[in-house]
Amino acid sequence: MTWTLALPELVLAIAGLVILVAGVLPKQETFFPVSMACIGSLLLAAVLVLGQPEGTALGGHYVADDFSGFMKLLAIGGAAIGILLSLDYNTKEGLGRFEFPLLMLLATIGMMVMISANDLLSLYLGLELLSLPLYVIAAFNRDSARSAEAGLKYFVLGALASGLLLYGSSLVYGFAGTTNFDRLADAFSADSGVTAGVVVGIVFVIAGLAFKVSAVPFHMWTPDVYEGAPTPVTAFFAAAPKVAAIALLARVLVGPFGDLAGQWQQVITLVSLGSMTLGGFAAIGQRNIKRLMAYSSIGHVGYALMGLAVANDVGLRGLLVYMAIYVAMNLGTFAVLIAMRRKGRAVEQVEDLAGLGRTDLGTAVWMAVFMFSMAGIPPLAGFFGKLYVFLAAVQAGFWTLAVVGVLTSVVSAYYYLRIVKVMFFDAPAGALDPAPASLTVVMAASGLFTLFFVLWPAPLLAAAQAAAAALLG
Amino acid sequence: MTQPLLAEYFPILVFLAIAGGIALAMVGGSLLLARQKPNAEKLSAYECGFEPFDDTRRRFDVRFYLVAILFIIFDLEVAFLFPWAVSLGGIGWFGFLSMIAFLGVLTVGFIYEWRKGALDWE
Amino acid sequence: MDGFLSTPIGILAITIAQTLALLVPVLIAVAYLTLAERKVLAAMQLRKGPNVVGPFGLLQPFADALKMLMKETIVPSGANRFLFILAPMLLFMLAMLAWAVIPVNDGWAIADINVGVLYLFAISSLGVYGIIIAGWASNSKYAFLGALRSAAQMVSYEVSMGFVIVTVLLCVGSLNLSEVVRAQQNVWFFIPLFPMFVIFFISILAETNRAPFDLPEGESELVAGFFVEYSSMTFALFFLGEYANMILMSALTTILFLGGWLPPVAVEPFTWIPGPIWFALKICLCLFVFIWVRATFPRYRYDQLMRLGWKVFLPFSLVWLVITAAVLKLTGWLPA
Repeated sequence: MTWTLALPELVLAIAGLVILVAGVLPKQETFFPVSMACIGSLLLAAVLVLGQPEGTALGGHYVADDFSGFMKLLAIGGAAIGILLSLDYNTKEGLGRFEFPLLMLLATIGMMVMISANDLLSLYLGLELLSLPLYVIAAFNRDSARSAEAGLKYFVLGALASGLLLYGSSLVYGFAGTTNFDRLADAFSADSGVTAGVVVGIVFVIAGLAFKVSAVPFHMWTPDVYEGAPTPVTAFFAAAPKVAAIALLARVLVGPFGDLAGQWQQVITLVSLGSMTLGGFAAIGQRNIKRLMAYSSIGHVGYALMGLAVANDVGLRGLLVYMAIYVAMNLGTFAVLIAMRRKGRAVEQVEDLAGLGRTDLGTAVWMAVFMFSMAGIPPLAGFFGKLYVFLAAVQAGFWTLAVVGVLTSVVSAYYYLRIVKVMFFDAPAGALDPAPASLTVVMAASGLFTLFFVLWPAPLLAAAQAAAAALLG
Repeated sequence: MTQPLLAEYFPILVFLAIAGGIALAMVGGSLLLARQKPNAEKLSAYECGFEPFDDTRRRFDVRFYLVAILFIIFDLEVAFLFPWAVSLGGIGWFGFLSMIAFLGVLTVGFIYEWRKGALDWE
Repeated sequence: MDGFLSTPIGILAITIAQTLALLVPVLIAVAYLTLAERKVLAAMQLRKGPNVVGPFGLLQPFADALKMLMKETIVPSGANRFLFILAPMLLFMLAMLAWAVIPVNDGWAIADINVGVLYLFAISSLGVYGIIIAGWASNSKYAFLGALRSAAQMVSYEVSMGFVIVTVLLCVGSLNLSEVVRAQQNVWFFIPLFPMFVIFFISILAETNRAPFDLPEGESELVAGFFVEYSSMTFALFFLGEYANMILMSALTTILFLGGWLPPVAVEPFTWIPGPIWFALKICLCLFVFIWVRATFPRYRYDQLMRLGWKVFLPFSLVWLVITAAVLKLTGWLPA
């Protein structure tokens, strides 16, 4: 049977069900053991992904290749670290309910299905399986009006985006007569396949997915949701689902619609330009650091999409490398944000970091590393992420993209470096509580990766190269 | 009448018309025959003889909503079961086990809501 | 004559005649069910029941109907007039509409559609709308509470009813009601599926808001529940709809479990009696049990009612469904 190819998803799904029952049966709260079990299952799934053979399964709905492997590992890693980040925070904020890690686990299954989708239907299925748990965990802090608002806002706009995506899919199906990616590609390679209806359908599909990656002009939900949701949830949002949605966008556009690149490249170019510009300028005025990170993530998506707009193997490799580095930096940054507590209460203003260099040097140094890296200062990892996409854009002659990218990088460096300045040169606003061990470990791990990526870039580059080749092949 | 499938449903339309006609005739007949003499007291909402305290359209218990949500889940499940039950003879063990897996997932959800007290009324 | 009957107008005329031939007896049955209920209750309580109007009180239903007709129709000042009038009509129409697919004898269903079971399930679900609309449009607290309770109760029991119906379908392999009856030539389904039969019967008590599950009406607390504000013919329509639903549910029980029009044993004296008579007799038996239950059992508390529906019937019927499917699959008794 071919369904054994989907073993990682199946194992994860069964593990999720078993953990759900095991978590709900005991009388006392099972937040910690369930979190551990979820992380364990995710690691198991990661091992299974590593050993996954290539091929298609489930009647052509599911595909496994180097690309899906690369993206799945990123998503799983983001999710596992997301759960790790939530351990301490949720307990202190009274959010230590076992549903939390479990919802993240379910969302991860959705991401994996999305990444492996080889059909518009499995794409939609995975997207919904990803989205529904996210709506819930965005509103997980039920007693906070902001969190409830975040959840509701995300839900309403997310439902709208799903609708757009579904509408686009049905248009594509109507005009091409199939939902399978391989057969769609065949249909479009015979150049008679390009009709206005298909193009409209593709635009709708892109719009639906652009919402999930929070690219301009579908970014409006991002600042409110990032600010309102509990901080570990924001960390998770910024990392894992974004990877999955980017992967999906790349697979859909390069796979079935690859021969229509001329049509969608303009759209992606515009989206990329808009995201970079908005991410660069809108974050400048932000006082709330979660809101600032929201705009920052919009900007980063813009850079990553630059690689997709180029639509060749160099561009895709740039995209993949960028996403990997982005996830690592982001998780580290959010580890610092989650650790921001003063006298037992979570604080989230930029000013609250003032004087961190004097009160808690370790955390401040890591934060500085992440901020420099996000700003793209060599020789940190973030620089290389940008380097590869800029290179691809320049090689392919996308000069506008490259120039705007460099300019917005310079603009965004202002607000990243402002944080560093606040930390090291402003008068202390009172010491923050010491960071718990789980957060310090995450900070150190992603900090070391960011610092020393320059020394061993080869494995990541090779993996990204293979993944890009698999997607184009 | 050219389409036999739709023709089967034609009597239902006739039923609808006749039942609607009877209902209208009954209400209308009463309106015509009986003496209508409304007054403010007669038309106020019944509250055991008191003046109505306040408006009815306000918040009510959220548990009714919960029941409705649970109902949707399980009724959809039943809707999935209908075609499965009818065609079980022709879909082999794969069809059988697929539905059992589906029911298993739902059972997990059922255990969850039971333990969470969603099924308790008080 | 043959020529006329195959023209569209002819077909329409035939259909109307058939419809009336079914609806009029149903309405008369509804009328006499109210009388029968009072008589049976009276007998169980060693009273006489209505015995003044006509011989043995046989004209009582018509006297009641006339009285209702001559009453004033009151639409409360706060009510939503359109919905207020619509609700009882909707409920009544749905109760009548369901009869279109009921096979009274082999081949005697007026609309012998191939998804009859699904149709009945859908129509009976729609009944909730009538109740919710009535409770909402009345703009009265008792009516609203009664409507909410009634809706919650009906949807709760509908789920287990659905599972029971699916179990029967497993044994039949068709959604056509006539096929369901034909599949019971050898053995009526209430014997092999006895637990499901019991669940089904209790569920239809709850579905029709009958004692011991008559909390939505709860005359001692909610006065009359969702139709507290109704009077005259609008009230009569609710009443008719409710009793017509009782008969309908009894008919459904008969079809699903008691072999429809089939005689108990297919031997000489029994087969002389025509199918519709058997069908009617079985319905009467079910209706008698309805009334018997009302005379015997005290009313359930609401939390007990919900617990019974969700925590007992739902898991039990689900497990029994899976067991039935597995047994049929393993023994190869599934209908092809």
